[in-house]
Amino acid sequence: MIDRGRVRALARKELRQLLRDPRTKRFVFGAPIIQLLLFGYAVTTDVRNVPTFVVDHDRTIESRALVDAFTASGYFRVVGRSDAPRDAARALDADHAEVALEIPRGFARDLAAGSTPRVQVLLDGSSSNTATVAQGYAGRIVQQFGIDFARRHGGVPEGGVDLRTRAWFNPALLSRVYNVPAVVGMLLLMMSLLLTALAVVRERELGTLEQLMVSPLTPGELILGKTLPVAAISLIDLVLITGVAVLWFDIPLRGSAPALLVAAVIYILASLGLGLLISTVSRTQQEAFMGMFLLLLPFLILSGFMYPIETMPAVFQWLTLLNPVRHFLEIVRAIFLKGAGLGDIAAQLAILTVMAAAVFAAAAWRFRRTLE
Amino acid sequence: MSTRHEAAAGVPPRNAGTAIEVRELVRRFGAFTAVDGVSFRVAAGEIYGFLGPNGAGKTTTLKMLTGLLRPTAGHAIVAGLDVARDALALRARIGYMSQKFSLYGDLTVAENLELFAGLYGVQGERRRERTAWALRMAGLERGTERLTGELPLGWKQRLALGCAVLHEPPLLFLDEPTSGVDPVARRAFWDLIYELAAQGTTVLVSTHYMEEAEYCHRLLLMNRGRVIAEGSPGEIRALATEPIFALRTDDAARAVAGLRDRPGIVEAAMFGRAVHIAVADAHGAEARIGDALAAAGRSCDHLEQITPSLEDVFVSLVRREGGAGAR
Amino acid sequence: MLSATRLLAIARKEAIQLRRDPRSMALAFALPLLLLIFFGYAITWDIKDLRLAVRDEDGTRHSRELVAALTGSGYFEVVARLDSRAGIDDLLQHGTVNGVLVIPRGFSRDLAAARPAPVQLLLDGSDANTATIALNYADAIVARWSADVVLQGRARPGLLAAESRVWYNPTLESRHMIVPGLIAVIMSIIAAMLTALTIAREWERGTMEQLAATPVHRLEVVFGKLLPYLAIGFFDVAVTTVAGMLIFGVPLRGSVLLLAGMTLLFLVGALGLGIFISAALRSQLLATQVALVATYLPALLLSGFLFDIASMPPALRAVSQIVPARYYITVTRGIFLKGTGVEQLWAQGLSMILFAIIGLGAATLFFRKRIAA
Repeated sequence: MIDRGRVRALARKELRQLLRDPRTKRFVFGAPIIQLLLFGYAVTTDVRNVPTFVVDHDRTIESRALVDAFTASGYFRVVGRSDAPRDAARALDADHAEVALEIPRGFARDLAAGSTPRVQVLLDGSSSNTATVAQGYAGRIVQQFGIDFARRHGGVPEGGVDLRTRAWFNPALLSRVYNVPAVVGMLLLMMSLLLTALAVVRERELGTLEQLMVSPLTPGELILGKTLPVAAISLIDLVLITGVAVLWFDIPLRGSAPALLVAAVIYILASLGLGLLISTVSRTQQEAFMGMFLLLLPFLILSGFMYPIETMPAVFQWLTLLNPVRHFLEIVRAIFLKGAGLGDIAAQLAILTVMAAAVFAAAAWRFRRTLE
Repeated sequence: MSTRHEAAAGVPPRNAGTAIEVRELVRRFGAFTAVDGVSFRVAAGEIYGFLGPNGAGKTTTLKMLTGLLRPTAGHAIVAGLDVARDALALRARIGYMSQKFSLYGDLTVAENLELFAGLYGVQGERRRERTAWALRMAGLERGTERLTGELPLGWKQRLALGCAVLHEPPLLFLDEPTSGVDPVARRAFWDLIYELAAQGTTVLVSTHYMEEAEYCHRLLLMNRGRVIAEGSPGEIRALATEPIFALRTDDAARAVAGLRDRPGIVEAAMFGRAVHIAVADAHGAEARIGDALAAAGRSCDHLEQITPSLEDVFVSLVRREGGAGAR
Repeated sequence: MLSATRLLAIARKEAIQLRRDPRSMALAFALPLLLLIFFGYAITWDIKDLRLAVRDEDGTRHSRELVAALTGSGYFEVVARLDSRAGIDDLLQHGTVNGVLVIPRGFSRDLAAARPAPVQLLLDGSDANTATIALNYADAIVARWSADVVLQGRARPGLLAAESRVWYNPTLESRHMIVPGLIAVIMSIIAAMLTALTIAREWERGTMEQLAATPVHRLEVVFGKLLPYLAIGFFDVAVTTVAGMLIFGVPLRGSVLLLAGMTLLFLVGALGLGIFISAALRSQLLATQVALVATYLPALLLSGFLFDIASMPPALRAVSQIVPARYYITVTRGIFLKGTGVEQLWAQGLSMILFAIIGLGAATLFFRKRIAA
């Protein structure tokens, strides 16, 4: 049914068109690397160096020690000091600081006397999850400071619970280790969509599609011929950015590389099919472009890339099951961080395969229909 | 008009086999009927012309004959295949070139030829031969590495024709192939069409250039999705029912305005610097025209009855059908 | 020099083309609402009910109380009690639980003897964010419980605790932070989306030569193309603002006028950037790709919308300085949640003016080069 000569002729033409423009060539191979380098750092949920404004009314050794405890933790960075609480408010208002620490007059005296002075931590609730995490850190630091002080002055006996935490798969709790593999998945999706979303609609606008369709080329051959070159490019991108992830970001590739390759091929095919579907549904390139923009965001949000799926409302959790990115991210993270092999990711692979088949079928069907 | 072409147009097809047989073909788009019960037959080796105003249904008919569109009703047998059932097999036997330039502008001449050779399964020695032929025909032997998009339009069209017949199809469909091309290039393009027809290729060409219509062996006139006339250019000219007068005057536009809707005058239209006037009855027409002009304050420089041109016939037939207006 | 008639003629043409393209229009207007609902409902940082497996080898009142303290906080729920340590590996590997709490034998005895009583909390660190938050919660809860136990029966010397107050968004409602940020992101996207193609398309279709042949000045073309999109942009901001306030109860504490003014500055800059990309590349395909990479992703990832800029490495913080959305997000969050005025936001305003000048200037310059070429 599929004539290899025709597919080859079309695929060669696609590659030539894609790589003829040196700007496109640079874009196709350069952009993913640059993006991974940028976003690998940007996509961090680690909270460090939170700009902190200090209002120390006490100015004693103890109050300074408390501030030192904040900065020594690495989570907070003092960006300003003042005696006036008004200044702290202004710093928060103007976004110069996200946290303000206010130590009351008589802090050291109260501590020594065994009463509890009121240490105030003001947090800017308008900035992402920093406030939540910083609140936790600040609470721990102040509490620990109090316990240590009491211990030194005999107020609290030795002993107590010694909580020893250990984070598996990612001992330093670097969000990068979790997020960089996800960025790899996101970039693959984007590249694949970008290269295919305009593939059909562009030829339709230029009038060349008709010329192709009066040739013996079948819709199946057309889709294959359009897909294969892009799949090859996306695979090269996969190797490039996986290399950057492992060599530059030190993300451990603990699991099986062949399993990653298999999963990536299926995922890329699903993404390409999606791009082709957009392309066959759209009447103009602009429409295809907007369709892609529109899809990309929900795909990212509902993938578990930035937000844990389990905290979403049930409806959205169900929706994520329809999202190929979600399944691929599970695979990538399992392979990278947990050392998974083919057997561990079989379920996700099966789902991705079904999705890839479904979008291709839909694209072919739409294509046949829109020819009319 | 080239005498060579007129001579060629008179040559009847050498064999009488049927290349295209169309019966009661209909195509609707929603409530709109683009092609409404069209029937005709094209003999093998013929150059068959589709003539009609924009929106007459020429392109839609061509698309159905090439398998790009499915007919709503009716039958079309092209090169022995039913277009509704065997669209795919049909495509290997036909060549198609559309009014829009449809080669890849960002590929070189050689790469475009390579693509179409691959798509039509033209391989090996035959491919070398056919590619060389197409380059010679398009006059691009030295320009194989040029980007197609940078070629002048006339060359693009010849290259497109070369790509369309790379696989030597017995049937060639040309949808307004010369629109936008200068007269010299158009003449050269028609030389190629004659060459192909001489080799036995059946050519179905749609056009709205009257001079091109004269080049065809037979013509099909369409308006509003229906056939309004069919025959050789000579036969069509003979369909003229109204005598035509040609008027030379100092201000053609005002003359036309003055002549319209006068008793006995069917139609007046500008024809270059002259005015062609269709009258109901040749008898006494000159006097009536003179009166009408005098009433409009125009002088009558020169007036004579002429043999209706194809365009006159065409205009009159379309008018009789109720005009070309968009439906 | 510049003629308002010609400028308006181009703007009108652009608006007509837009209006004739119902799908584009629908997207331009539906996109903000859709994104708002998606983001508003789907994204939440409120991490609760972390799944915990417990291996209690001590089996005493103390060990049970410790577990009860964790679950009583509302942050943890115990989904499994283990009979041995053997299954821990699997549970974490498959992500069945977020963490495993192991209380070894002798826990209660150590506590009573005022010795350090070790307790292990194993976390699935592959999701660092969830793990960090879990760790913070666990640490705080355990420390408090421990102090209570150790100090039992003594005169309480009081334990130092931070009194934290969250300003602007006391309940740390994710939606309150998202809506103002979302406005900035949507505007960046719309700007890139609508404008990146507009000039490139005219080049591809050859209508640009036609425009160039008329007495239209290139500035008029750029501004003429800008106007209709500016109108759409404003409409979208208004829709998002009203929807955010009505659906998600986001407060608008500052001045609407200031918001409008800052929005104008931002939009002009963002649209100018889109037109610049479009004019410089002349190909819809390439313009699409560059617009996506140069505007969409930075607006999403480098603007402080989702990821905190302060926590990024210095080089990236520097890069974020050239992302216009970054300034606009500060502005929207300031005006919506903090009620800040122009005295705090003038620096952001200046930055955006700078972007607007650069964007439009570059677009106009490129335009001339292309016509001449």
